[in-house]
Amino acid sequence: MTRRRQWLLPCVAAGAALLLAAGAGFAQDVAAGPREYGDFPVVGGRVAVWIAAQVHLMFAAFVLGVPMFAVVMEAVAIFGKDEKYDRLAKEFTRLLLIAYSATAIWGAVLVFFLTTIYPRFWAHLSEIFEISMWFYVGLFFLESFTLYLYYYGWEKWKAGRAKYAHWSLGILLNVWGTAVMFIADSWLSYMMSPPATVAADTPPSAIGTWVAITNMTWMPINIHRLIANVVFGGAVVGGYAAYRFLAARTEEERAHYDWMGYVGNLIAIGALIILPFAGYWLGREIYEYNQQMGITMMGGFMSWLWIVQAFLIGVLFLAGNYYLWIGMGRIPGAERFAPYTKWLLLVLVLGVIVWATPHTMIANRRELAAMGGTHHPFLGVLGVMSAKNTAVNLMILTTFLSFLLYRRANKQPVVAWARTGTRVQGAAFVLSAAIVLFYGVYGYFVSAIVRIGFSIYQVTAVLACILTVITVDVMMLRGATSRGAIRWGQMPARSQYALFVLLVTFTWLMGLMGFARSGIRQHWHIWEVMRDTSPWAATPALGYAARVISACVLIFLGMIAFIFWLGGLVEKSTLVKSAGLERQEPARELVEAGGA
Amino acid sequence: MWRTNLQVGAVVLGTVGVYTYIANTIPQVQSDVPTELTFTGEVTAEQLVAAGDELYHGAGGCTACHGLGTRAPHLLADEAGTGMIGERCSTRVQGEDCKTYLHRSLIDPGAHVVEGYQPIMPDMSRTLSPAQVWSMVAYLQSLGGEVTVTGADIGEADVPAAGAGTAGPAATAPATASLEPVELLRANLCLTCHVLGGEGGAIGPALDGIGARLSADDIRRAILDPGAEVTSGYEAFAAVMPRTFGSQLTAAQLEALVTYLARQQ
Repeated sequence: MTRRRQWLLPCVAAGAALLLAAGAGFAQDVAAGPREYGDFPVVGGRVAVWIAAQVHLMFAAFVLGVPMFAVVMEAVAIFGKDEKYDRLAKEFTRLLLIAYSATAIWGAVLVFFLTTIYPRFWAHLSEIFEISMWFYVGLFFLESFTLYLYYYGWEKWKAGRAKYAHWSLGILLNVWGTAVMFIADSWLSYMMSPPATVAADTPPSAIGTWVAITNMTWMPINIHRLIANVVFGGAVVGGYAAYRFLAARTEEERAHYDWMGYVGNLIAIGALIILPFAGYWLGREIYEYNQQMGITMMGGFMSWLWIVQAFLIGVLFLAGNYYLWIGMGRIPGAERFAPYTKWLLLVLVLGVIVWATPHTMIANRRELAAMGGTHHPFLGVLGVMSAKNTAVNLMILTTFLSFLLYRRANKQPVVAWARTGTRVQGAAFVLSAAIVLFYGVYGYFVSAIVRIGFSIYQVTAVLACILTVITVDVMMLRGATSRGAIRWGQMPARSQYALFVLLVTFTWLMGLMGFARSGIRQHWHIWEVMRDTSPWAATPALGYAARVISACVLIFLGMIAFIFWLGGLVEKSTLVKSAGLERQEPARELVEAGGA
Repeated sequence: MWRTNLQVGAVVLGTVGVYTYIANTIPQVQSDVPTELTFTGEVTAEQLVAAGDELYHGAGGCTACHGLGTRAPHLLADEAGTGMIGERCSTRVQGEDCKTYLHRSLIDPGAHVVEGYQPIMPDMSRTLSPAQVWSMVAYLQSLGGEVTVTGADIGEADVPAAGAGTAGPAATAPATASLEPVELLRANLCLTCHVLGGEGGAIGPALDGIGARLSADDIRRAILDPGAEVTSGYEAFAAVMPRTFGSQLTAAQLEALVTYLARQQ
């Protein structure tokens, strides 16, 4: 018997045992008559549904985020007349084809699990949302066939007006995908915030579908997910590029994937900067819907979750900036900005420390006694929202400054007002930081209801700075001379590992936030409408949740790696064919194919 | 190639491992499903304290204000150098022992408002049974003081359901049989927080002119489900208004109140 068979037999036996165990459990339940809950072997029903839902969601974010990425890249290629962006868009659309199947498979797994493990809940939900579920299926068909047209028509419609038609297909693909997401969001947001007219004894048939869809948290979740999908799409692109960079065998490949990693990181961090504003809106709506739910989320048993979240976002900011700073090593002229890096790092580290300072924690008496009060005697003052909002806004400004330095590194403005423009940009940064700090300090001297309003002024100051600086920069760098071309590909390997850390952290953060959103319902399937009476009704502690989240992340990343590997197989055959047909441009074809 | 794969795998596993480790090292708090408890006259102080503890951190909704900033005094920790609530309760009001003071603070919170705070605390007897209120008193006494609540304070017929509040408040007897709207507003303590014709508090939105701002349906919904739509500027006090009027008012009383308020143009 070969070694492979030695492994195979126990696996098959274990699989058969699992199926038999599941079948036995199912048979017992059927014999007992109609049931409210099923079971799942080994891990239990809740974890089975949890993993299926989370992994499905990760794939869904990938297949919704990447088309946004692709269509923007295609637009850059068309309007900027730079074909390499077109190749980048196509390369990722090819991966979408395979990822779509995985998304659909996990979606089917989730539905089967829900119908067998939570039949009462699923019957309730499907009775209310049945029409939207039919639409969902229809839209899924439209989305799938639009994707096929988009990918397989790429070469046929690559020039002239046909190219615009092709780009329109990409936009249409995003429209269908967004509509699909909005429908699915209505189901889960209904579970969190059912309309006030729905009570525990309201029959599902009496609940209007549109009323249920347009519940209070529906639109905030839609917007939050829309932006988060862009972030996630960029992070996956960055991870893919990093792997291909490390595995590259030629300079051309390395240059191509270095550039791709940069674009992925730019999009991920750029969208990440505006994501907290959407999150703030969602949190506010949760509070307004039900203050008890809001307190549970931010000041109740989940309060420690936000400390972990602060740590993760700190890692994202640090890794994103680190990648940029290393990247400046391949840009001629960037050395003049190198002395500033340590100060940028200092601001980021201080920001992370402040953001991760615990404050309004639910603590027992022993913990309070050990701490000497409800808050730490010295650091507690940094744990309030005034300090945290100030810290995160300064971190955003710092990250934006890193991008600006990166962008300016090899450019020499030629406009007469370049010095004035730079001063205006500097003044915008200083003014914005001053406003953020002023309201951060002033917030300690006013009541909570006034303090909440200050965060809007801080955010507005940061956004105004970003818009002003970008506008000035674009105008100032028109016709700018170059200090030298970016040496794409000349990046140390450690920079690529920063991209992996970003991908893993984004994925883990997605799982954590999924737990937060779902967990604040506590022992309710549908908040104050349908109670969870299953054996898994208690909402687990963060440590347990972290283990499940990690399992989901590893499953997802493992499958994504497989998909990327499959994509590589397709590339090889394309390369052979293309190389034979267009021998006059071998280097270009190699870059387009991504290397063999 | 294998070396690269191994390095990438190590970075991925290492990052996931660090996050999992951190999440497992911080305090682990599980949100349990509320369980129903019953008391008899033989109840022990420990049982009362345990039930009160559960209520305080759960269905009682106390943590929405106490200990989380500046809305209400700290109870579990020192408050301005006076100690935890169990330590300071007996000296708060001259002539009132700890048990009496805490009980009154729960069922008549306007009687002794701590200086520096607004009178936003709701009457807990509207959402908790008498036994639950007494278990809460016992728990608060245990925070630095001696528990003096006994089974004698709780009627033997009284059966509390500690922690059941999140499932929806228990049905409450009407405060009055009257159908006269102003009498209903007074008897149900609406005017503790809302002002109407110069009478009442300013914690919630004024009822003067409410008919011009809200339709009859909106007013009905605001009474039955106060958290559904919170008037701008009153978000901080959204949780103060009880969600018990659906069971506290009769249908005729509710409609009389809605009709009356809708006419306040």
